[in-house]
Amino acid sequence: MPCERKPMRYDHSEGHTEVCFDDSGKFIVTCGNDGDVRIWESLDDDDPKFITVGEKAYSLALKKGKLVTASSNNTVQIHTFPDGDPDGILTRFTTHATHVAFNSSGSRVAAGSSDFMVKVVEVSDSSQQKTLRGHEAPVLSVTFDPKDDFLASASCDGSVVVWNIEEQTQVISWPLLQKTNDFSNAKSLCRLAWQPGTAKFLAVPVETKVHLYERGSWDHVSTLSDDLLTQPINVVAWSPCGKFLAAGSVGGSLNVWDVNSKLCVERQKHEKGFTVCSLAWHPSGSQIAYTDTEGCLGLLDGLSTSTSTTNTTKAPEKKPAEDYDALFDDDDDDRLMDEGLSDTNSPVKKPVAGDDDDDDDFLMPATGRVRNRGDKFGDDDDDTGSAVMPAAAPLVPLRPVYEGPLPSAPQKAFQPGSTPAHLTHRFMMWNSVGIVRGYNDEQDNAIDVEFHDTAVHHAMHLTNSLGHTMADLSQEAVLLACPSTDELASKLQCLHFSSWDTNKEWMVDLPKGEDARALCLGQGWVAVATSTLTLRLFSIGGLQREIFSLPGPVVCMVGHGEQLLIIYHRATGFDGEQALGVQLLQFGRRKRQLINGEPFPLSLKSYLSWLGFTAEGTPCYVDSEGVVRMLNRSLGNTWTPVCNTRETCKSKSDHYWVVGVHENPQQLRCIPCKGSRYPPTLPRPAVAILPFKLPLCQTTTEKGQMEEQLWRSVLFHNHYSFLSSSGYEIDEEGQSRSQKEQQELLMKMFALSCKLEREFRCVELAELMTQNVVTLAIRYASRSRRMALAQRLSEIALEKANQVQEEEPEEPEEEPEYSRRTSGNRRYQEEEEEQVEELGEEDDGQEMDTEEAAETRKRQFHLFSSASPERRTCFSGRMVKVMVEYLQMLGAGKPSASSGQPRVTNILDNMTSSKKSAPLRSAGKPNKDPVLKPLAPRTKTKTQSTLLQMTGTKASSKKTQANAEPAAEQQKQPDVPPPASPADNTENKRPKTGFQLWLEENRKTIIADHPDLEETDVIKEAMGRFRTLSAEDRLSWTERAKGQTGDAADLKKRKRAEGEEGGGGRDVENENGRAEADENSAKKKKSLDPTSKLSAFAFNKS
Amino acid sequence: MDPSEVEFLAEKEMVKIIPNFSLDKVYLIGGDLGPFNPGLPVDVPVWLALNLKQRQKCRIVPPAWMDVEKLEEMRDLERKEDMFTPVPSPYYMELTKLLLNYASDNIPKADEIRTLVKDIWDTRVAKLRLSADSFISQMEAHAKLDNLTLMEINTIRAFLLDSLNCMYKLRSNMQPGSSKGQLTDY
Repeated sequence: MPCERKPMRYDHSEGHTEVCFDDSGKFIVTCGNDGDVRIWESLDDDDPKFITVGEKAYSLALKKGKLVTASSNNTVQIHTFPDGDPDGILTRFTTHATHVAFNSSGSRVAAGSSDFMVKVVEVSDSSQQKTLRGHEAPVLSVTFDPKDDFLASASCDGSVVVWNIEEQTQVISWPLLQKTNDFSNAKSLCRLAWQPGTAKFLAVPVETKVHLYERGSWDHVSTLSDDLLTQPINVVAWSPCGKFLAAGSVGGSLNVWDVNSKLCVERQKHEKGFTVCSLAWHPSGSQIAYTDTEGCLGLLDGLSTSTSTTNTTKAPEKKPAEDYDALFDDDDDDRLMDEGLSDTNSPVKKPVAGDDDDDDDFLMPATGRVRNRGDKFGDDDDDTGSAVMPAAAPLVPLRPVYEGPLPSAPQKAFQPGSTPAHLTHRFMMWNSVGIVRGYNDEQDNAIDVEFHDTAVHHAMHLTNSLGHTMADLSQEAVLLACPSTDELASKLQCLHFSSWDTNKEWMVDLPKGEDARALCLGQGWVAVATSTLTLRLFSIGGLQREIFSLPGPVVCMVGHGEQLLIIYHRATGFDGEQALGVQLLQFGRRKRQLINGEPFPLSLKSYLSWLGFTAEGTPCYVDSEGVVRMLNRSLGNTWTPVCNTRETCKSKSDHYWVVGVHENPQQLRCIPCKGSRYPPTLPRPAVAILPFKLPLCQTTTEKGQMEEQLWRSVLFHNHYSFLSSSGYEIDEEGQSRSQKEQQELLMKMFALSCKLEREFRCVELAELMTQNVVTLAIRYASRSRRMALAQRLSEIALEKANQVQEEEPEEPEEEPEYSRRTSGNRRYQEEEEEQVEELGEEDDGQEMDTEEAAETRKRQFHLFSSASPERRTCFSGRMVKVMVEYLQMLGAGKPSASSGQPRVTNILDNMTSSKKSAPLRSAGKPNKDPVLKPLAPRTKTKTQSTLLQMTGTKASSKKTQANAEPAAEQQKQPDVPPPASPADNTENKRPKTGFQLWLEENRKTIIADHPDLEETDVIKEAMGRFRTLSAEDRLSWTERAKGQTGDAADLKKRKRAEGEEGGGGRDVENENGRAEADENSAKKKKSLDPTSKLSAFAFNKS
Repeated sequence: MDPSEVEFLAEKEMVKIIPNFSLDKVYLIGGDLGPFNPGLPVDVPVWLALNLKQRQKCRIVPPAWMDVEKLEEMRDLERKEDMFTPVPSPYYMELTKLLLNYASDNIPKADEIRTLVKDIWDTRVAKLRLSADSFISQMEAHAKLDNLTLMEINTIRAFLLDSLNCMYKLRSNMQPGSSKGQLTDY
């Protein structure tokens, strides 16, 4: 048998090494003590690619682009091949794994470990694993039955065991090996190998021989040996055809036997005699790669199995049937040593065989293509005589391959806030109430329940004898569920710790064949979704309630108060997408479905990773891309992204594990996880808080920031309207604060848009404002001389006023009551003594009302958005006032302005008078009957004053002033100089003094004497003159003043009448023109102040 | 100054706790504390943290420097350098003592941390003694020491000042008067 031993080359640092070929045979892959996995294109590859998998790599296996390694951190990990990206951790042991192996289809991995256990794990879902317990010493090696029923393992306790994988039981155990205490001390690694294809034989290296055991009967049917072998065999490996068996020994011998003949067809010796610790056949069967304990890699090339030239296609067909018989049949012996010995089983023929051989068919999908590939370079090898592979050997699929979008694996059901179930120490639930931890290791299978707030309940420790895997926790109860086992049905256990009776626990068996998949607790109810697409509701005390069917397999469920949110698989997703649907139900008095099975939006190629309600009751979820979305109830139940947790992660592999969302204050509570998706139970993770940020465009600019703030504020205060509509008490203060905040933001944005000359945008913003703020905006616009804008805004303001008016008739009858109540405080100040009793009643009323949340809320509503009739008149009055201001600024020349004026003045006159009446009345309070105090007028004044307070005292005081001016404008008299009007005003407010009376009389003379004097100087002069009067004179003036106080108003009326009589003529017109001009200039001066204040409000505050 | 007074000062340092009760903001003279939400970390002074801990109302989150690796690094640096190295906290010794005494169950590897901090402390105090020794033996008038903590200064203050006073007396007795000056010749 011609065979070339290539020179060894250095591969890894000294220690245990392993080698294998990839599926195509293009690469040799090795691992070693230095923790690297090296990928060699050939033995001559001087720069192999390497993947670091850990501090040490104990074993590796490679199939279908998945590289599985056992590394020193006690894990078995997957990397992609050939890229070498980490692809997760398959399983963990308490100590390092010693050997890993794939099954023939590559769907499962077996791993043996020094902690005496063997685990069989599904590659696609590491949570599905089977643990084979029974060895009493570290496991040396594992191998799969190619038909996937059995698994063989060898252990340091000297036994070789065949396991039934499904039942996790020992089928047979042979005490064959020497006992040792550790993997590192074992004389032989005893790497077992199962014949590929037919799976007939299990090869077990025992000392210097190889025992073959027959599958099924488990009889020792033959032994392969070689006289030249003196040292124990470490490792055996079957050729891909299953016809030859290679063995490497401690002393460095390499032997290849033909199994049928039991003859040794190849003997090679390691060039330095080091221990061979790993062997691998090339998929074509033409090469064997081996490594030794010194970290060197070698290759045997040109094995005759691959050089077959015969084209017998018939032989493989009969081979499976003949195989066993043939073993003892000497007929075949003559074929062994000649060139055509492998005619029957040359691997290059396998694909052809597979096509018409049913027995082999099941292997085809996994290996057919690969072997075909082997065929290709099997031929090449003959030419080049080296292991260099054709770089671009095209794939030639045997069957037509579907190349469209592939369905993605549907996401498994999970409990939000839990870590994966396969972990031995895991969080079963972490929510706003507390933490449920599950422990499932050798010593203990237990559940710990701990409450964030120890006032809810003390911590609990439960033994988990039923094997609960799901949990939920609320203020009332702990809910646990376990999947069904062979004997026991799936169970639901509820620890109802808030129950007032002595029975704090109940348990329910689900019907046979029905497994709990997801569960949640609400307020007073329990929901369980099962594998039969059923949702079962229970009361918290254990009564069975509604039951209904779900449209698809459940993914997860959460409850909050009376709401239940269910996510299920709507259909199969393609290309990594999940097709989920969502249902939101509301129980309580009126049971209804709020979201009716709509598609559930997720980020591209992501899956759902957390689902929950905010503390305020808004549904919220997080997908695997870290995007947090929240339900926007005001936009037809759409989902708005509010945060991307990945943006705050420092590294790509860091994640945030969300545990709760709060809307007020805006907090995303989560646990930062370094390099993983979920936190370990120890050390105890700490909660961090992330802010929300809507993904709006250009949030680096001032405009973008304000827009983001505004919409975030709007979104995060939606819950107020929801809560109030479902009858909960709400924090009105918070609500009004949020409204104020939003309006402030709008105003800031308005100011910014004004600055940027975006008037259209200003109008758009104004449409979002409340009427109150629009008036502010109008003022701002008129001050900044944007007439067109102000005009448009005033239209909007009128529109809004009309809207408000239309809304008003809904609840008119409540208003008087309300206004009376709100005026209570004021009356309290004014009429303390007289009103004590009445006030007492009113206070009671207020207290009662605060209890009735709904009603109070309505009132609140009135205060801020709708308006009582009085307020409205005032509003429109003010609005018109603002318009007047700006019309005046436009210039007196405009006809529309002058035509608009009289009407305006009328309204304003009314207002002024009503306003004036208030102080008058309060001044004359002692005269009034305290009991028969009229309600309505009082109401009016009160409402107005509230309004004025709301818009700021500045505005109101300004208005009085401004009101006085147009009034004066009409009533100008030639004989009364302009400065007289302020005096008139003061007249109205307080009784005149003697000096004032005197001044009135003598003003004219003073002015005549000193025509150039200013008003203040006039008064000074007058004071001087008044003092020069005799005491009696002064007294008489004072007397006169006292007598006149009562009819000051009369006096004023009389004077005005006089003035009007004397009015008319050119002089008046001239005067008017002059006065108007004065006024305008005065107004301009005045305008400086409020504008600057307003702009300060708009810009400085930001 | 008493060590207990230094400890009292250290109790003003802030530390993170995770309360298991809920309470609104507490308004104190020294500043507002809270609000306390169960399960949410919040910063409070050490005195309050210890008080709550003793009543089992919270878990204490150890300060970032109270970590074996960081302390090992610090210890090595402290041993290598001749000068005093900057300490993680001006009250590292007091905090370690307080937190480890009352909340060792909340601090992973408490024993190792205790040993490490003690090592750092010993190194630093040894340095301090050494520098005091050279200060005196070289008859220097002044010396400057950086990065000393209050507790460290406090340990050496009483002894150093007293001994300096004594020495001053002894020396001044020897200096004046030529008649007494002869005594120095003995």
